[in-house]
Amino acid sequence: MPTKPSKSGVAAPAVLRRRTLRVLGTFISLLEAVRVRATADLGFDIEFEVLDFPSCQRKAALHPEAFDVYDQTFHNLGIVWHWGVLQPIDTDLLKSWPSVGPLTKLGGVDKYANRGAGDAPRLKLYVQPDHSLGPQPTRYISMLPTVHNFDSFGYDLRAFNGEGRPRESWAMLFDPRAKGKLALVDEPAIGLFDAALAAEAIGVLTFHNIANMTATELVALFRFLRAKCDEGFLLPCWTTGDEAAKLFRRGTAVVQSMWSPAYNQLEGAAPFIREAVPEEGYRAWHGGLSIARHVAGAQLRMAYEYMDWWLSGWAGAAMARQGYYISAAEPVRDYLSPAEWAYWYDGQEASEDLHGVDGATIVAPRGKSRSGGAYPERARRIAVWNTVMDEFNYATRLWSRFVADIKAKAR
Amino acid sequence: MTKPRLETARRYELVAETLRANIAAGRLPPGLVLLEGPIATVMKTSRAPVHAALKILEEENLVHRFEGRGFLIGKAGARVQPIRRDLAKQGLKISEAIDSALRNRGLWEQVYDEVETAVAACLIFGDFRIVESELGDYYGVSRTVVRDVLARLHERGLVTKTQSSHWVAGALTAQSVRERFQLRQLLEPEAIRLAAEYADYDRISRAIPRERGGDNATSWSELDRLLMEYCIARGPNGQLIDLIRQNRLPLAAAARALTKLGLPKDEVAAGEYLVLFDLLTRRAIEAAATYWRNHLTVLAEKNLARLKIVAVIPDPPPRPPYLSPRDPQE
Repeated sequence: MPTKPSKSGVAAPAVLRRRTLRVLGTFISLLEAVRVRATADLGFDIEFEVLDFPSCQRKAALHPEAFDVYDQTFHNLGIVWHWGVLQPIDTDLLKSWPSVGPLTKLGGVDKYANRGAGDAPRLKLYVQPDHSLGPQPTRYISMLPTVHNFDSFGYDLRAFNGEGRPRESWAMLFDPRAKGKLALVDEPAIGLFDAALAAEAIGVLTFHNIANMTATELVALFRFLRAKCDEGFLLPCWTTGDEAAKLFRRGTAVVQSMWSPAYNQLEGAAPFIREAVPEEGYRAWHGGLSIARHVAGAQLRMAYEYMDWWLSGWAGAAMARQGYYISAAEPVRDYLSPAEWAYWYDGQEASEDLHGVDGATIVAPRGKSRSGGAYPERARRIAVWNTVMDEFNYATRLWSRFVADIKAKAR
Repeated sequence: MTKPRLETARRYELVAETLRANIAAGRLPPGLVLLEGPIATVMKTSRAPVHAALKILEEENLVHRFEGRGFLIGKAGARVQPIRRDLAKQGLKISEAIDSALRNRGLWEQVYDEVETAVAACLIFGDFRIVESELGDYYGVSRTVVRDVLARLHERGLVTKTQSSHWVAGALTAQSVRERFQLRQLLEPEAIRLAAEYADYDRISRAIPRERGGDNATSWSELDRLLMEYCIARGPNGQLIDLIRQNRLPLAAAARALTKLGLPKDEVAAGEYLVLFDLLTRRAIEAAATYWRNHLTVLAEKNLARLKIVAVIPDPPPRPPYLSPRDPQE
C-alpha cells in the first residue's frame, strides 16, 4: 500500500504491516470465532473467504494465487489436486501429525469398523511418488485431516408417529407419509447419495458400487427421482444449513438431508426432530487443510503454524459444539467441559444444559443424548463416504438439471 | 468395394473414385506418371486428399511406386516405361455427380466443421438434442445440407439417432471414456505391429526433443496425433485404421475442449509418449506394442481424472440455438 503524504507534506512514518494468511473454504469450518481466536493465538492476520462447495472448488482450481490455505473436504480434493494448484505437505514439519487419529491414517477407528464405500480420506491422503494420491503411507500428505462427521437425515416424529419410534432406514425419505415434504441438499457429491441410499433401501434400485455408479445406473436413478418428483414427493433442494433448519421449524419438510449444526437451530421444533441412525449406515465426510502451490518462505511457515493450531484443541472444541468431530480428539478435552465431552464424544446424556459456539444458545438441554451414541460407535457404521465418483461430471450435469426442474415445478 | 455416398464422402474418396473411373475407362493408360500437384489442380482441391487417394489406389493395386517421384498406373511388377504427360491434356473426366459433390463440398464442409466443434465442446456438459430445423435456420442452409452434416457426424460417432428419430449428442461419460480406452488397448498395439514395416520412423524420431521437459514440451494430444499419422495410419489394414480413428474422435474432441478450459499440461503423460517413440525408432516393435498397451491404462485414468474436473465449470460455453439440453431417459 503506498504511504499517503500527510497534511504537513511530510511522508507518514512507515507502518510495519502485519503479515496475512488467506484461507479459502466453506461455512463448515470457517467461523468468525475461529478466525478471531486463531489471529490472537498465532500473532498474524488471517482472512477467511467463505464460499459454497462448487464455488470454492472453482475458485481454487482457476485462481490458485488468490489463497494460501485451502479448507475443504477429502472427497473433492482430487479435482483440485489434479489441476495442480496444491503442494504436498511435509509431515515432518507438522507438529500435530502424530496426534491425528486412525480413521484417516488407517481407514477405520478400529479393525471392526465398517470402512465404507467411496472416497475414504485414507485413499486420498498420501502423495505417491508419481504425484498422484493414494493410501500407501509416505512422508508427504495432500491434506491435513481436520473436521468430520457421520451424517444421516432428520425427520419429524409427528409425521411418523404411527409406529412409535420407527425402524430408521434411508427408505423413510420416500415414505408415503412424507409425500410433498421431502427436501434434499443441493450438492451432487452429497444429496445424490442420500437419494441413492434411499432408492436402494426401498428396493427399487441396486448399485453394483454405490460410490462409483455407472452412467447407466445414474440414468436409472434420475428416472426414479423424476418419477418421485412427478408424484409430488419433493420440495426444492436446500443449499445451506440455515435453510434446512427453517424447513423443519416451519413444518415445510418432515424428512430431509440434514447437517449437524442445523439441529442446533430448530428452536421450538427441536423436541420433535430426530437425527436418524439409519440401519444401512451413515454417509460420512472428512474435511482438511491444504496449501496452495505458490506458498513459500515465511508464508509457508505461517500455513504450517495455522494447520497445527487447528489440531491444538480450541478449534476442535468449537467444532464439537456444532456436532462435528476433529481428527486429533485428545487436545480437545482441555477446551470442553467434562459434561460437553461426555455428550459430544461419549454419547452420554447431557448432565446440564450445553451451549453452542456462541456460548448462549442451548443446543443440548439437560437429559438429551446424542443420536447414534459415542464417537467409535458412530464411526463404525459408515455406509458410504461423500464421493466424487468417476461419473461425477455426468452426475453433476444430471443433478443440476434435476434440481432446476424441481424448483421450476414448485413455482 | 462399396462406393461412398457422394454427398457425405470425404474429398479424398471423391478423388480416388474419379481416378479409378478414368483408369478403368482407359483415359489414364498403364505407365502414366501420377503426381499429386497436377491432380490437385485439375480437381480443384488441395494436395492432402490427393495424397490419401493415391495411397488407396496403391492398396487396390491400381497404381504403384517407382524410382521416380509419384506413382505409375498399373500393378507393381508390371514392367512399363514411365509415361510423362500433362494430365490436363489427358482428357481426365470428372463425373457430374462428383463434380457437383466437390463444388457443394465448400458449403457443407464449412458448416460441418463448425457443427462438429460445437458438438464436441458440449459433450462434456451432458446430453443434448440437435434440432434439424434450427440447424438449417442458423446457417441458412437446406435440409439436404443439414442431413449431410448430421450423417457425417453420425458416421464419426459424435451423434446418434433415437427411436423417435431425434438427433442426439450423448454426453461423454466416464463409462464411454473407459470403453473407448479399452478399445484402444485392443486395437492400437496390434496396429503398431502391423505398421512395423511402413511407419515413418524418421518423422517419429524428430518428435523426440533433444532435451526433455521445458516450456515448449509438445502436448500429449499432439504426440497422440503424431503416433496416429506416422505409425498407425501407415499400416496396411485400412479397416483397422478407420476403426481406430473413429474410436479416437470423441476422445480427441473432449481433450481439445478440456484444454480450452485452461487445464495445465500433463508433462508426465507426454514423457511416456516419448518412451514409446524411443522404442519405435529403435525398431523394438514388440516392446513398443506391449508398452503402449500398458500405458493406455494409465492414460485412461488420467483422462477420467480430467473429466471429473469439468464438474466445477458451471455452464456450457455459449452454445448455438440448435443444441438443446435433453434428459437421457427420454
